[in-house]
Amino acid sequence: MRLVEEEPQGPPVELSVFSGPLDLLLHLIRKHEVSIYEIPIVDVCDQYHAHLQEMRELDLDVAGEYLWMASWLLHLKSKMLLPQVAEGEEDPREELVERLLAYRRVKELASILYDTDVVRRCLWNPVIPGTTRQTDTVLEWEDVDLRLLAHTYLEVMQRFEAFHPPALKVLPLRFTVEEKMSEIYRRVISDGLVPLLRDLHSRTDPEEVVVVMVGVLELVRLRGVFAEQRLPFAEIYLRPGDRTLSEKELLHSGEQGG
Amino acid sequence: MESRVDRETLSALVEAILLTASGPVKAAAIAEALADSDVEEAEVSQVLEAMCEAWDRPDRGLRLEHVAGGWRCVTPPALDPYLRAFHGIAARQRLSQAALEVLAIVAHRQPVTLPEINFLRGTNSAGVVHTLLDRKLLRMAGRKKVVGKPFLYRTSQEFLLHFGLERAEDLPDPEELVQDESGMTVDGDPEPGARDDLENL
Repeated sequence: MRLVEEEPQGPPVELSVFSGPLDLLLHLIRKHEVSIYEIPIVDVCDQYHAHLQEMRELDLDVAGEYLWMASWLLHLKSKMLLPQVAEGEEDPREELVERLLAYRRVKELASILYDTDVVRRCLWNPVIPGTTRQTDTVLEWEDVDLRLLAHTYLEVMQRFEAFHPPALKVLPLRFTVEEKMSEIYRRVISDGLVPLLRDLHSRTDPEEVVVVMVGVLELVRLRGVFAEQRLPFAEIYLRPGDRTLSEKELLHSGEQGG
Repeated sequence: MESRVDRETLSALVEAILLTASGPVKAAAIAEALADSDVEEAEVSQVLEAMCEAWDRPDRGLRLEHVAGGWRCVTPPALDPYLRAFHGIAARQRLSQAALEVLAIVAHRQPVTLPEINFLRGTNSAGVVHTLLDRKLLRMAGRKKVVGKPFLYRTSQEFLLHFGLERAEDLPDPEELVQDESGMTVDGDPEPGARDDLENL
């Protein structure tokens, strides 16, 4: 039994270093030392797929654009393998060549920027705290940064809201304790036994639930109703208490105080 | 300020303004500030040119550079390691290959949209563009009047400062850079070291 996994063959290919499928393709073409106009599609396509395979084996996330390029190459390969029908037919590789050329120009310019960045990121400029005067106060309309503008707008709005909190709205009461007390009390007297939790669950409005609960507590305090619960969290049953409540008591309960 | 300033005072003034300004200073802006003293812009420019030359010496820690349409003071790059040691800054964040490519595209083709950048690079660049916006090297400049109204991007003043350019158009034309289209002699790799910090952004 082997304890150590065998090392994979050869050094891992630096795959993550390519900044995209075009970059990988340029690399393969350069390795072949051929002109960009004469890409050996069959070879390059096979190598491209081999690279993708290695990327998968290394558990690298192969982004969709790499797969898209892979299918394009396969398509070109199939076209190249077919016998050319007519002399004047255009090269199927043309579009790919154009994209590669455009990308290579981008890389050229990027390499200039890289060289500049290497030197210029070492520059320091004296910063004197407190000197915030912008020397360039006259902004060209084109120079206005939309993102900055949007940020500024959001900041202003936030500040405005912080100083102007929305007014507290006092809504009229939709339910009264007295009304609910009468309702529950009548049901307890007529039914003899009322399951409170089931009743509360059947009501969808949280405000109403609160008012009913307060009404029930008031009824219990007045001894018009008794509440029973056998086990914690079990159903609470309401049954008639040892006092008969008058209409007056039901309507003015809250004002009597303790 | 009411009387005419002599050359020496003007030189001192210009130096003081440069050291206390927060960005590149235009000669015209200095002349405007000294308008009461009857100073011409050409005179200020002369002083600046002379100062730029005088400061460019091995025993000076400050240089004057003409960048982004104005003048500003910078330290020579060779002093960077010592400055970093003094300020306790380990290393500077480099621009990744992806970031450099996006900057190259925007600088060359601005204003440009994200789909156009993606097409040229053959890969999604939304994250890189966002980082560059955060680093203020790119800026949004309106929307393109096509379906979907994508945002248009341009390089910023910070970009000019960072790369020491007067205008974005001063960058070399990539068409001229690729003299040999055979693809054998032109090495597309920016530099071996550039790859190490790919995706740093």
